[in-house]
Amino acid sequence: MAKPSGRYSTRHFDGTKTDWDGIMERDNHQEGEAQGVKICDPPCESNPPAETLATSLSLLGNHMFPDPVESKDSNVTTVNKEEPPDSLLSDVTAEEKSLDAEPHSDHVTKLQTEETDNSECQNNVSTQPPDRGTEDAAADNDQSDSGEFVVTMLAKAKLEEQGIGVKGRSSPLLEAGTQEYPAFMSHRDEDVTADSWRQHRKHVFVLSEAGKPIYSRYGSEEALSSTMGVMMALVSFVQSGDNIIRSVYSEEHTVVFLQKGPLVLVCVSSSRQTEQQLCGELLYVYYQIISMLTQASISRIFEHKKNYDLRRLLAGSEKILDGLLNLVDSDPSFLLAAVHCLPLASSLRDNLSQILQKAITPNLVFSILIAKNQLLTIVQEKTVIEDTRLEPADIHLLLNLIGASSAFQAGEIWTPICLPLFNPDCYFYAYISYLDPPECTVCLLLLSTDKEAFYAVAECKRKIEEAMMAQNSLSLIDKVHSYSVSQVGVSDLRHFMYKPFDVPDNYRQLTQFTSPEMEAPYGSEEEKMRLLDLYRYMHSRIHSTSRPLKLIYHVAERETLLAWVTSKFELYTCFSPLVTKACAITAITKLLRWIKKEEDRLFIRYPPKYSTTPNPSKSSRGGKSDQQDSTDNGVLSLL
Amino acid sequence: MPEVSKMKKPDVKVVLLGDMNVGKTSLLHRYMERKFKDTISTVGGAFFLKQWGPYNISIWDTAGREQFHGLGSMYCRGAAAVIFTYDVTNWQSLAELEERFLSLTDTANHDCIYAVVGNKADITDPKAQLSQDSDVASKDRTEIEEERTEPQVLSACPTPPASPVSFSGITLHKQVTPEDAVAFYGRILRYKGLEEKSSLPAEKMCFETSAKTGYNVDTLFEALFDLVLPSILRKRSENQESPTVDLEECRGASNKRARSACC
Ligand SMILES: Nc1nc2c(ncn2[C@@H]2O[C@H](COP(=O)(O)OP(=O)(O)OP(=O)(O)O)[C@@H](O)[C@H]2O)c(=O)[nH]1
Ligand SMILES: [Mg+2]
Repeated sequence: MAKPSGRYSTRHFDGTKTDWDGIMERDNHQEGEAQGVKICDPPCESNPPAETLATSLSLLGNHMFPDPVESKDSNVTTVNKEEPPDSLLSDVTAEEKSLDAEPHSDHVTKLQTEETDNSECQNNVSTQPPDRGTEDAAADNDQSDSGEFVVTMLAKAKLEEQGIGVKGRSSPLLEAGTQEYPAFMSHRDEDVTADSWRQHRKHVFVLSEAGKPIYSRYGSEEALSSTMGVMMALVSFVQSGDNIIRSVYSEEHTVVFLQKGPLVLVCVSSSRQTEQQLCGELLYVYYQIISMLTQASISRIFEHKKNYDLRRLLAGSEKILDGLLNLVDSDPSFLLAAVHCLPLASSLRDNLSQILQKAITPNLVFSILIAKNQLLTIVQEKTVIEDTRLEPADIHLLLNLIGASSAFQAGEIWTPICLPLFNPDCYFYAYISYLDPPECTVCLLLLSTDKEAFYAVAECKRKIEEAMMAQNSLSLIDKVHSYSVSQVGVSDLRHFMYKPFDVPDNYRQLTQFTSPEMEAPYGSEEEKMRLLDLYRYMHSRIHSTSRPLKLIYHVAERETLLAWVTSKFELYTCFSPLVTKACAITAITKLLRWIKKEEDRLFIRYPPKYSTTPNPSKSSRGGKSDQQDSTDNGVLSLL
Repeated sequence: MPEVSKMKKPDVKVVLLGDMNVGKTSLLHRYMERKFKDTISTVGGAFFLKQWGPYNISIWDTAGREQFHGLGSMYCRGAAAVIFTYDVTNWQSLAELEERFLSLTDTANHDCIYAVVGNKADITDPKAQLSQDSDVASKDRTEIEEERTEPQVLSACPTPPASPVSFSGITLHKQVTPEDAVAFYGRILRYKGLEEKSSLPAEKMCFETSAKTGYNVDTLFEALFDLVLPSILRKRSENQESPTVDLEECRGASNKRARSACC
């Protein structure tokens, strides 16, 4: 990319304008305008500010969805109470009656029109040299709109870096990341000035309250320090007033901020997800960090030293966060906040559970068996979760930790790990070992509350290994596969996700869902992602805070989707585009019957418990009583 | 009983310590698997069992990352040998050994032996660039032989240039000389309150290795294993009455004290 020439300026919230040459000017136009939190600009309208915004934003990245806001509603049909198409649906309460019952026939044309619009919009960008022209235009229109302003600032932050590329010059807003970090840290050596960097679908940044960069999904944090600085300035400014910036919308991007304790998490996404969903994803990132360091020690660190460089402690863990973000994008477990277990004959699952149940030692609280990155079974100490459920998010984090790192494939691992939803302030000690080297698909995870219990827990593994050998379990597990939607026997059904609110006999234990393999036409990565995006969209409509829906019949260009939530389950189905509504409803009846029949295989039922630990709930749940567990990591001594 | 499930009771414990990225995992992998492959930064600690003749040696490959610092003393509890590993191209990695890792050995055996190992010698020492992987035959020996005739580590080792050199475009950190390592060994003894005269000499306990080429890797581990033999034998005779070796014997009474010592 051509090096931009000339001067660059950014307007700050306090009304000052900074030229990157270092000259500060006073300008009062901007005062008080920064509070606008949500701005939804109409796409590519011809008024100059919007164009400027579009241009500025295109510097941040491209967009995936050709359809902005309008096409969504027009394609959606909500089934009406007055016309229950089937007795099955009689308990559905329609909450949105205004929309008509037939899909719009013109939606294809409409989408195409929009695509044209958008490509024009992009042409604008490419014909206009993105450096100078953009800059001037953006600067000139600063006052027009505070949201645009905010986003322009973000765009400018990028420009500053690629900009002038003067090393060592930090953002004038904050002195973030001026310090050097050892060269080996920058394995994340993506060129942050390249177009490809900007075009990532979803950027995620983590920074400390003091503006120190902690993590960036793409590119190294230090290369992005000025971007982080600008974001930080946004956050801290708005915090100082009563408004908390949560998100900024444009036609191409959604920027979501989340502050958790001393950490600030930012997502810049072109995925068309809702603020709620993106915020949920940022929360997962936060929890994964907590799972490595605990909330208590992070708070304590920043209490001691506001300026602490948390990368010191997270160095080497970037892969785990990278892996998490990839999973969040590609695995609906996160969207549904439920665990997907590997389908298994209940007799085999019971056998495995019993094996785990028998290999116990004091202070062992969870025994988890994982195959192909999915849960096989989980057995827990009786008193450990008396009245709360084990949160799916904690399992997701564990699965990601194991899946993201091949470091567990050699030797027997013993490492502290925090389950943030269970107790964010203390550690469990995890024994991790694959049972089938060198293939490494079946993994045993044993969690103890005793840091010193390695040898005792390793002995449990040997017992488990022995019993599994005797029952030939490994080769049985090896034959297990996820299932195909064709097994349901409904011709137009292409895919579904079914999440019962309480699996029978697993009451208040672990939220689960079941879903077949994604097969053709969703075989390719792009198509998979497209279907997931449709699901995400359906999910956002169902769970909309302003207008939640119970049933959505959505006719898209290449498929028809039906989402349905009742008091007992949440269901998302995907049909071929030719399906009629009546057909879809019959299909769902059949599907629900099939799931009922297969329930034993599809879900973990009757989760077994054992009792060995004198009082594990006290030691792991007690929070305060066990504070030493998080200090134990010796983190403080390193400050 | 099937082979895998047979309980191998470790006779003695060896611990690898050192900053992240110095090559601890690579060294162990080279020794155990005879290969150099891409590694992932270690999480927590990884436990390995190595059959050494009739003996079982447990080896802890620990994570160098600060995140896991607090676990170090637990891994070191009851250790018979500690391998302090640094990166010869990175002075700071030697400094870290003294600052962060030395105190972790407080929980080690009182007769624990200490080795100081400068890894990545292939970058600084032409001698270490030659692949030494031709000795595959010695992999599974069942008897402890005399030390083979490999070039002796320090005596023959020329002092590498002390100034940073440029290597494939990257300017390296300040390098570490073998003399620096020997000096550090002296400070270990002092920290431990050990007499230099009655301890193993620095020349025997300081190594430069390359996990990449295999240079000195077998020499290092085999020399150490030989040196912990007395410890093994003593332990075995102590356990003569009870033939089952208690896996947790190094835990035992020292449990409480260790807990408070590690914060
Ligand atoms: N040139 C060279 N590179 C090496 C050598 N040993 C290791 N490396 C490289 O150094 C990096 C770190 O190696 P690791 O073995 O993972 O380091 P570690 O000490 O186990 O690091 P942690 O597990 O994070 O504590 C890897 O990229 C290795 O390829 C060596 O002998 N020569
Ligand atoms: Mg390692």
